[in-house]
Amino acid sequence: MIRSRAGLSAGALLLAASLGLAACGGSDDSSSEEGADAKVLSLWHYEGPNSAMGIAWNKAIEEFKSSHPGVEVKFEEKSFEQIQQNAQMILNSDSAPDIMEYNKGNATAGLLSKQGLLTDLTEESSKRGWDKALNSSLQTTTKYDDDGIMGSGKTFGVPNYAEYVEVYYNKDLFKKYNLQVPTTLDEFTKVMDTFVQNKVTPLAVGGAEYPAQQILYSLALSKADRAWVDDYQLYKNKVDFKGPQLKYGADTFKQWVDKGYIAKNSAGIKAEDMGVSFTQGKFPIMISGSWWYGRFVNEIKGFEWGTFLFPGNKLHPGSSGNLWVVPEKSKAKALAYDFIDITMKPEIQALLGNNGGVPVAADAAAITDPKNKELIENFNKVSGEDGLAFYPDWPAPGYYDVLVAGVQGLINGSKTPDQVLDEIAKPYDENLADLGK
Amino acid sequence: MTVTANRPKTEPEPTVRAEKRANPVRFLVLAGLLALLLIIIAPLLIITINAVKSPADYASGGPLSLPPSLYWDGIVDFWNRVDFGQKLWNSFITSFTVAVLGVLLSVLNAYALGIGKVKGRLWFLVFFLVANLLPQEVLVYPLYFLSKEAGLYDSLISIVIIFTVIQAAFGTYLLTSVYQEFPTELLDAADVDGAGKLRTLWSVVVPVSRPTLGVLFTFFFIWTWNEFFLPLVFLVSNDNQTVPVALGVLQGDRLMDVTMTSSSGLIGILPALLFFLIFQRTLTRGITAGAIK
Repeated sequence: MIRSRAGLSAGALLLAASLGLAACGGSDDSSSEEGADAKVLSLWHYEGPNSAMGIAWNKAIEEFKSSHPGVEVKFEEKSFEQIQQNAQMILNSDSAPDIMEYNKGNATAGLLSKQGLLTDLTEESSKRGWDKALNSSLQTTTKYDDDGIMGSGKTFGVPNYAEYVEVYYNKDLFKKYNLQVPTTLDEFTKVMDTFVQNKVTPLAVGGAEYPAQQILYSLALSKADRAWVDDYQLYKNKVDFKGPQLKYGADTFKQWVDKGYIAKNSAGIKAEDMGVSFTQGKFPIMISGSWWYGRFVNEIKGFEWGTFLFPGNKLHPGSSGNLWVVPEKSKAKALAYDFIDITMKPEIQALLGNNGGVPVAADAAAITDPKNKELIENFNKVSGEDGLAFYPDWPAPGYYDVLVAGVQGLINGSKTPDQVLDEIAKPYDENLADLGK
Repeated sequence: MTVTANRPKTEPEPTVRAEKRANPVRFLVLAGLLALLLIIIAPLLIITINAVKSPADYASGGPLSLPPSLYWDGIVDFWNRVDFGQKLWNSFITSFTVAVLGVLLSVLNAYALGIGKVKGRLWFLVFFLVANLLPQEVLVYPLYFLSKEAGLYDSLISIVIIFTVIQAAFGTYLLTSVYQEFPTELLDAADVDGAGKLRTLWSVVVPVSRPTLGVLFTFFFIWTWNEFFLPLVFLVSNDNQTVPVALGVLQGDRLMDVTMTSSSGLIGILPALLFFLIFQRTLTRGITAGAIK
């Protein structure tokens, strides 16, 4: 291997620049006692103060203060955007916090772990039993290998909550047309047929953002098993986009559009507008994530509503929520571990659940609110079957926009299902080639 | 160029006026202008409507419905949640400092380039123009490493320095072309009176071009006030953040809080709007004003 001197020094410079000072910290943190005597714990997250996470974490901060007298907690509420854009730069500087919330995924937590900016929590996680509280599909997003790809390797984060896609329905409208909650995909189709016959468009869909692709993915999952999800998400084997899963998903989605379950104009609808149209009672059904739950509890006043899991599916789009990560530059690592431990305690988990969140390690009996009980029982069912299948846009960088464009083509009829499958297979395969798989 | 000579006649002939009033075209034009005005202020109106609407009303009525009662909690909650007073002060102090320093730097540069006619001034101007055209995304990494080395990362000073330079690049470019047309009679007169280069600058050039400088000052202030990207990168601590960065707090991963976002948007643009109203007179005086009095 011969390189020119200039190339070598440029490479070295690039390496030094990208890794920065991060590498220095890695050598001497053998014990979990590091930073135990710190007097300040700076903590960042980006959840609103009234969200389930915001409420539960505020309580956790209070508990931390009472169990650690003399330690000042410097909490700052950050914007999602700021962390998303700048985490790498911030964690590489002296302004890094001691513990923070961060997005799970290859492009976020995976990338930072690869650059050595996050602390390896593997040892701490087994010592304190965090790993036992999380089932295997929840753990997928906490582990990243040397290339920053999730699913195996060291643990770099701990999630407190989870999210999954389910079906929201308007009970009043179901009653009006004498409909029962469907338990199979056939029954679900019949329910939607009834609405169409009565000139009601059944599904609220936001085609301009994530909701539409999650419907297509749910349909694909109805024909899939865990091995297929591992192939698609974790690159275990090559995925055939014209295979029975995705082909079924795209074809059925197209049928749903043709039959009028999905309005043609929903190609341009944003997720927020989809949610509002459901809260206004304009659509009887909405297929989307548990993140709407707390908001609907507070805001839907005009009608009764409920949820059920996508009928007939064992696998559902969903994953762990965002992670607590400890930056490599944290000056109070031991305190950060203590804080994570508090957030995993049953009372904090129950508080999360009682405020419309989906706790990862909650006892359903501890959830007193009947509305939230439904949410958590559904989740426990999914989780018990190890049924979290992640999101369709995870496998490749920039894949979200590819999927949005593809599904929009299906909704407005400008592309056939086969064309769409070809279109979304290309970036997926290119990413595989980039990864050398 | 004189200002006084070409002032339009303020009083048209009475007969002409009567004729014009009867002309139906005038009403059409008026109606058209009103419609245009409505389109322009529509976004502001919608923000205002949603800012004083409760989340439940928004959920049941949608974005265009009128709120049944005024709901101020959104604004109050947002103010307290992000400590908005602090953000206002941060924004004001950085924008003001940048505006003052930017104008000062532009004047000094433009005096050398436009009136001093230093060698290679065309290339200087091309350089400043290119600096203007560079997208900020390109500058982020170099600036990040520089500011980290200088210990200015996460500090308002870094933002002041960066934007003073960015704004002064535009200011220099604009002001140089203004000063190239500067009346040589004035400069000669100053020279004859025995004024040195500095004296000429402060006592002749600056007073004559004051309206232009006022315009630059106003623009620099508003532009810096509205900057989002670089402050987002450089102002890490909440105590250092500016108004536009603070507004970002409400944009979540998947959910947004429309009513509170509108509230924050409303109180976010009010200061810039106020500033604009106060200084609009300097703006209307024209960007290339200058005269032999």
